Amino acid sequence: MSTEHEQTLRAVHQLTAARSDGAHLSATQPHADTLHFVVEKKAMRSVVDGLVNQLQARFLISVGTDKRPLSGDFGIVHIFSLDRDHLYVLVESPIPEDDLRIDSITPVVPGADWAEREFRDAVGVHPEGHPDPRRLLLPDDWPEGVHPLRRDFPYNFRPPSVENVRPEMRKAPAGASVLPMGPFFPVLEEPAYWRLFVEGETIVGCDTRLFYNHRGIEKLGDSVLTYNQIPYLAERICGICGFIHSTCYCQAVEKAAGIQAPRRARYIRTIMLELERIQSHLLWLGIAGHIIGFETVLMQTWRIREPVMWLCEAISGNRKTYGMNTIGGLRRDLPDDVRPELLNTLAAVEREVIAVRDAIIGDSVLRARTEGVGIVTNESARSVCVVGPPARASGVAIDARIDHPYAAYDEVPPRIVIQEAGDTWARVVVRVGELVESIRLVREALSALPEGPICAEIKEEIPPGKVAVSVVEAPRGEAIHFVMTGGDNRPYRWRVRAPTYANLQALPAAVMHGTIADVPITLGSLDPCFSCTERLETIDRRTRTVRIYSHAELLEMSRGNRLRGGAR
Amino acid sequence: MTQSFAVLLQCLLNVAIALLLSPLYEGVLRKVRAAIHSRIGPPITQPYWDLLKLLGKEDLRSGGGAVYASLPPLVLGSLLLLATLVPMGAAAPLSFAGDMIAVLYVAAMSSVLVMLNAFASGSPYAYVGSSREMMMALSVEPILAIALTVGAFKAGTLALGGMVAFQAQNGPSISMTIAGLAFFLALQAQSGKLPFDIAEADQEIMGGPLVEQSGPRLALLRWAMWTKQLVLAFLLVEVFLPWPRFGILPVDLAASGVKVLVVLLLVAVVDVVNPRLRIDQAMGYYVRVALSSLSALAFAVIGK
Repeated sequence: MSTEHEQTLRAVHQLTAARSDGAHLSATQPHADTLHFVVEKKAMRSVVDGLVNQLQARFLISVGTDKRPLSGDFGIVHIFSLDRDHLYVLVESPIPEDDLRIDSITPVVPGADWAEREFRDAVGVHPEGHPDPRRLLLPDDWPEGVHPLRRDFPYNFRPPSVENVRPEMRKAPAGASVLPMGPFFPVLEEPAYWRLFVEGETIVGCDTRLFYNHRGIEKLGDSVLTYNQIPYLAERICGICGFIHSTCYCQAVEKAAGIQAPRRARYIRTIMLELERIQSHLLWLGIAGHIIGFETVLMQTWRIREPVMWLCEAISGNRKTYGMNTIGGLRRDLPDDVRPELLNTLAAVEREVIAVRDAIIGDSVLRARTEGVGIVTNESARSVCVVGPPARASGVAIDARIDHPYAAYDEVPPRIVIQEAGDTWARVVVRVGELVESIRLVREALSALPEGPICAEIKEEIPPGKVAVSVVEAPRGEAIHFVMTGGDNRPYRWRVRAPTYANLQALPAAVMHGTIADVPITLGSLDPCFSCTERLETIDRRTRTVRIYSHAELLEMSRGNRLRGGAR
Repeated sequence: MTQSFAVLLQCLLNVAIALLLSPLYEGVLRKVRAAIHSRIGPPITQPYWDLLKLLGKEDLRSGGGAVYASLPPLVLGSLLLLATLVPMGAAAPLSFAGDMIAVLYVAAMSSVLVMLNAFASGSPYAYVGSSREMMMALSVEPILAIALTVGAFKAGTLALGGMVAFQAQNGPSISMTIAGLAFFLALQAQSGKLPFDIAEADQEIMGGPLVEQSGPRLALLRWAMWTKQLVLAFLLVEVFLPWPRFGILPVDLAASGVKVLVVLLLVAVVDVVNPRLRIDQAMGYYVRVALSSLSALAFAVIGK
């Protein structure tokens, strides 16, 4: 690496040492791109302040770990990224069991709000001085003082449920009335509860309660599953960007264990990741159209998207949830005979995407609904640590594919698409630009696809106690997986942060002073997640026989004989 | 005696057209939407089945009282009354001096009843939807009034029958063309189509005034909506595009039916190729339409 890189390393070391002022416990560099500092907890806020305000480090996520079986205490790690220097900085503090408190860093980094509330819920370390210490992820009827990610909490323990508990919500400001959006609402594909405080049609504030769908995936990862089973669970974190999560997890374990995935595997991962971005952005464009009542956009983009799904099915056997990733590479190669179909589909999709783009850009009514709506300012995007297209639409030039190159992105670099306005329209423009760029990337990766093995041979056990951070630029922004390896063929701690987690925190500021009509599209333009069912299963209640209708049968039933052969 | 019997028959004919054909027109419009979406779409008889299904469901009410219970039938009833005031193929069955004013009142009445029904349901979404409905009505109904006033000015009568006869006899004029155009633009909002389905806005306020309506109540409100778009389209083609006139009722009626279909198809195409506007944007748009339609009055004054 260059001397500039060494200078940065030195600067981080110096700053951490100076800010921790004698409370510095250790400094290591577990990987070329990762610095790991351990400081006493009293120095944490000061070190974080220095990293963020002097070195412009970007906050990624916090991890709370119950390390009592290892070292007798808890550990809180705040993870930062120095994007231009391609560096992760981990700042850890041990928290003794008799004093489960740490200074909150949210006053310094507003984007750490949820991350700190989450480790408070999960392992019970209290962020002192947090501006909004309400419950984040545990259900409302979950008993106080029970923390599911502690090692002595069995994964299958279910506390008794309690009737009639309500989330603790803020009161509406004087003169405003409450318009509830959720927990179930037409444009929210998953349960989420937004309370909009409105004066007439104008939003004067909002409050939220989320995590109705929390599934305890991290707990399963560190107590039930093994290293090689987790990719399949990781893939099911999201119904749209599953491959992103399985890749991100595999990369984290590979990095921790020092395994290098073969070049061909890294290229195929790149191709699949970009195909996922293409189908996800098309899906999003349709939903955005649907939210503002533009059903034609929904119907047409989903029609354009469908061949991409068939392509994924031809490659992996599944439209979604490919099951291709494993530690060290892939389980399934890209068949050579898919190549012509892949190129043809890409050409067709590109042609139609460009037609859609031109139609959208020329649509004055669409622009009237999105320009100047739901503005996330550059300042707000930076302080809340927004990621992905919403960040790039607010002029924050971050992209994990460039900042922390993984898979084959060092050899097939993407061109970043950036806008400055920060409004919903800018987010539309960024995503449509990325669609075209992704098509180019798939083509390029395919033409440069090297021969060779698709999976590294792993001879040794994965050593315990290693940490690694991996990021993948999902369609919605940067997905982060943190892994600390453990002894019994599974991670000691596996931490996942999906991009929506960061982006949703920008919503309250973005909808403020807008109108009710702007809230759904503003929320939609941050692209929260969605999943869908492919097949229909019916059970005859009298005979108990199960009949599963296939795709073809469902088409037959819904279309009759008219279009047979028109679909696959 | 025979005269009043003929009027009754005519009324029944208009009501039957409005009531029985409005789902069919809606079915055709759905088919067109589907075609532009690259979908096959439901069969054109689907709206009838929708109504039948909804009418057969349990009547769940979120509000109490006789007034609340009777509002959806009153909404539909007010539109059937409107149908008897509007010429369809022949002069309107209920025609009298100044019936144009009555038409405007009855047309506005249905919106007001929908709002009352929504307020009585007690849902916050219905409140927001009703206030949007009110704002839309306030900005759209003046356009209908201006357009019909132009017709009245030209024909020198406030009776719709007189306007139709005058227009059929004298052929197109600049003022009536502009007025007809303004009426057409207002029809988009009056029939609750995009980009002006703001009062209902499923994705924002879950159907607004309809959010608490289900079963038979919903069926009647839907039916009323379809009836409204059909009757107002008839009003448009009869007053502003009455040619050709054959003088034989079934033929004139069929001709009007075809013209209505063309008008509604245009409305449907505008609906499909647009996203929903915000209420302030829609009001701004209709204020501009209203101001422009005033030019039709000016042309009418100078005899063009």
